[in-house]
Amino acid sequence: MVDRSLVSVVDDDESVRESLPDLLKEFGFAVQAFASAEEFLASDCVGQTRCLILDIAMPGMSGPDLQRELTLRRRNIPIVFITAHPDAAVRPRVLEQGAVECLFKPFSDTDLLEALNTALRVR
Amino acid sequence: MENELNRVVNAIPGLVWSAAPDGSVDFLNQRWCDYTGVSLAEGLGAGWQTAIHPDDSARLQDHWRSLVECGEPGDIEVRIRRFDAAFRWFLIRAVPLCDETGRVVKWYGQNTDIEDRKRAESLLAGEKRLLEMVAKGCSLTAVLEAVCGLVEDAASCYCSVVLVDPSGTRLAHGAAPSLPASFLASIIGRPVNADSGPCAMAAYLNEQVIAADLASETRWVAYEWCPMALAHGLRACWSTPISSAAGKVLGAFALYYDEPRTPTPLHQSLIERFTHIASIAIERTLAEKATRESDARKAAILDSALDCIVTIDHAGRITEFNPAAERTFGYRRDEVVGKPLADVIIPAWLREEHRRGLARYVATGETRVLGSRIEMTAVRADGTEFPVELAITRIPMEGPPSFTGYLRDITARKQSEEKLRRSEAFLAEAQRVSSTGSFSWRVATDEITWSEQVYRIFELDQAVPVTLELIGSRVHPDDIPLLDDMIGRARGDGSDFEYEHRLLMPDRSVKYLHLVAHGTRDEDGQLEYIGAVQDVTERRLSEEALGKVRSELAHMARVTTLGALTASIAHEVNQPLAGIITNAGTCLRMLGADPPNVDGARETARRTIRDGNRASAVIARLRALFGKKDPTTESVDLNEATREVIALACSELQRNRVILRTELAYGLPPVTGDRVQLQQVILNLLLNASEAMSSVEDRPRQLAIRTGLDEDGRVRLAVEDAGVGFEPQGVDKLFEAFYTTKSGGMGIGLSVSRSIIESHQGRLWAAPNDGPGATFSFSIPCASVGLTARSFGAS
Repeated sequence: MVDRSLVSVVDDDESVRESLPDLLKEFGFAVQAFASAEEFLASDCVGQTRCLILDIAMPGMSGPDLQRELTLRRRNIPIVFITAHPDAAVRPRVLEQGAVECLFKPFSDTDLLEALNTALRVR
Repeated sequence: MENELNRVVNAIPGLVWSAAPDGSVDFLNQRWCDYTGVSLAEGLGAGWQTAIHPDDSARLQDHWRSLVECGEPGDIEVRIRRFDAAFRWFLIRAVPLCDETGRVVKWYGQNTDIEDRKRAESLLAGEKRLLEMVAKGCSLTAVLEAVCGLVEDAASCYCSVVLVDPSGTRLAHGAAPSLPASFLASIIGRPVNADSGPCAMAAYLNEQVIAADLASETRWVAYEWCPMALAHGLRACWSTPISSAAGKVLGAFALYYDEPRTPTPLHQSLIERFTHIASIAIERTLAEKATRESDARKAAILDSALDCIVTIDHAGRITEFNPAAERTFGYRRDEVVGKPLADVIIPAWLREEHRRGLARYVATGETRVLGSRIEMTAVRADGTEFPVELAITRIPMEGPPSFTGYLRDITARKQSEEKLRRSEAFLAEAQRVSSTGSFSWRVATDEITWSEQVYRIFELDQAVPVTLELIGSRVHPDDIPLLDDMIGRARGDGSDFEYEHRLLMPDRSVKYLHLVAHGTRDEDGQLEYIGAVQDVTERRLSEEALGKVRSELAHMARVTTLGALTASIAHEVNQPLAGIITNAGTCLRMLGADPPNVDGARETARRTIRDGNRASAVIARLRALFGKKDPTTESVDLNEATREVIALACSELQRNRVILRTELAYGLPPVTGDRVQLQQVILNLLLNASEAMSSVEDRPRQLAIRTGLDEDGRVRLAVEDAGVGFEPQGVDKLFEAFYTTKSGGMGIGLSVSRSIIESHQGRLWAAPNDGPGATFSFSIPCASVGLTARSFGAS
């Protein structure tokens, strides 16, 4: 694991920001967690991030807002959306916008790994 | 020749005599001597004067002396005594015989019997006197006494006049100047019949009754009239009925003699003439009396009449103006009598028409106003005009026509007529436009009256008398219990009521009626309802359509709410769940690593517990979401709160054809709490009860709501329905959140209700009824306990 790809997590829920990085590190990724989209955009991680795990519903800029913003900045980062709202309609919408996957909370660790693998293969 | 002459002279059927120039009688014919009973020898000279009535003697001597002195012919009327001592009137005529020198040489004379003429003259004079008396208005008694006096003189009898009293059944006193009072007393007051006596009989039969000899008379035995008359020295009685011109018997005129007598033709003519005079006198008196009475009545009517009575003559001048007219028009009678009516009470702009009308009538007898009631405008003294009703009649009198006008001020009537007409028109129009009819119902007698519109709504002919049975025949069979309930309630306490029920028309169509009635009591305490019936079919049909849409919407809204709620619940729960699962997965991987990362695993396990706690906190927060914000605490009159809820739910209950019975205890103490929350509970219970009966078709949908005070000082409210009820073992489930027996409900109602009641230190429970349905009750401490209600949901 010489090349530890950077996976960034953006979620307003603290519990997710605590638990998910630990799991991603177990998978062997480098991880950065952000509490909001604005915080992520302001960081120096945007260019290094190989995959973005992004919450849909957040105060301020939402997940899809960030997705559009990145497209606008030509930052072609594969995105795996995660959401606690069991709204099936949201999934095709975000996939259409270029997201790699959309996972409904709570999701299993294998589903997450599979999505990450897909995302990194896209590159 | 002289003898021959003597024979002739003696044969002349007159009394003839001659006298010397000095006036001494020198010849009396045989007839003179025979008539007077005075012999020739006795009568010669001045002896004849013994045959002259003493009262006439002096007058005759004076007259005879003056004739002799001046030698002129002359005549004089004197009474001469007949041989039988009866005096008769004679005309004595004396003519002188003169020689060539004009000296009187002889007087010749003739006496002519003028008794009949004198008698006739005397009677005529008497009649004239009597008629003058009648004309002068002498009293009837005076006239009748004069009649009797005259006849008594003329016929040497006793006379009486008896009258028939106004009832026509008894004899009354008229006149009897010469008869003893005791005799009259036995006649006056007797019934008019054939048995009471000759006068009663004459009046009764309207025929003359002649009793020539009372001693041999056999009539009137029943009253022993003859013995009574005989006892008064009377022997004969002739009684003749006195009749009016129209033939009505007014009385009887009787002549009595103290010896047996039969009337001669002379008597009869005498009787006839004086009976006639008596009849005139009596009729005249009666007529005058009637006139006086009628005048008095007329005056009384004029004075006391509420109507104005104004009479005018043919020229239109006022001849009478009664007190009512004075009051109405503002003139005094003496100001207007004699003035033209037109100038007094007819407005200037109508005067010409009035004059033309009167002139036309006087000229042609043609009229538009006579004998009919007309309305016209009149004017008062102060110039104000006002409407009057006028009836004019012609006074039935000879001569130029005169008129009586009856006028009535109809200002008030006009105004109220106009008002009534307007309000009736408004009402009719309003009833038609609003499809609302009105009715009244006298509860005691079940007299019901309907307005036209109600008949139209019920599609019944207006001729049909309205009965409860008739109404029942139109009411939808399913709503008959509703009708019975309404009637029963109305008969009970007389409180106002409001119902909605259906009619089933003969063509099977259904009408929806909304009925509101207000109970009033008349002065006799009889209950009468006045109410309105509105045909709300169209509204109900659109409401039903709307209601369907609304209920679909409501359902959708509930589903949406539930969905939103589910999503929110899920989101809140999924967040910690995601943490838990991620941590657990991480933990397993850390423990499965070589070497196992025990510290990391411990950390993730710690976080798992934390997230689990977090999830349970979410549930607690969700419960709080159902709660009301900002609860208030106040003193609440549960009865009043209940009434407000009923008012709110009324239409919903009626829509479901629920019969609501309200039994609110009097003098219920207030409770302390959140009025709105308590009302939500009551509303919830009512709607639940109503909904529980929505499928009930085989019995009335009875719903009772009661309040009361329990022994332990708690105020209780119970809602009893006749719905589907519930299984006893299901009672606890009822109050579980999300438990529902309703197809479209969230079932949150009862659990929320229970929470609210519990937050008021109270208790909410349910019990199945003995019959169909269930009763939901709650009780809370009354305010005096001093508890402060906690708000529901503020855990």
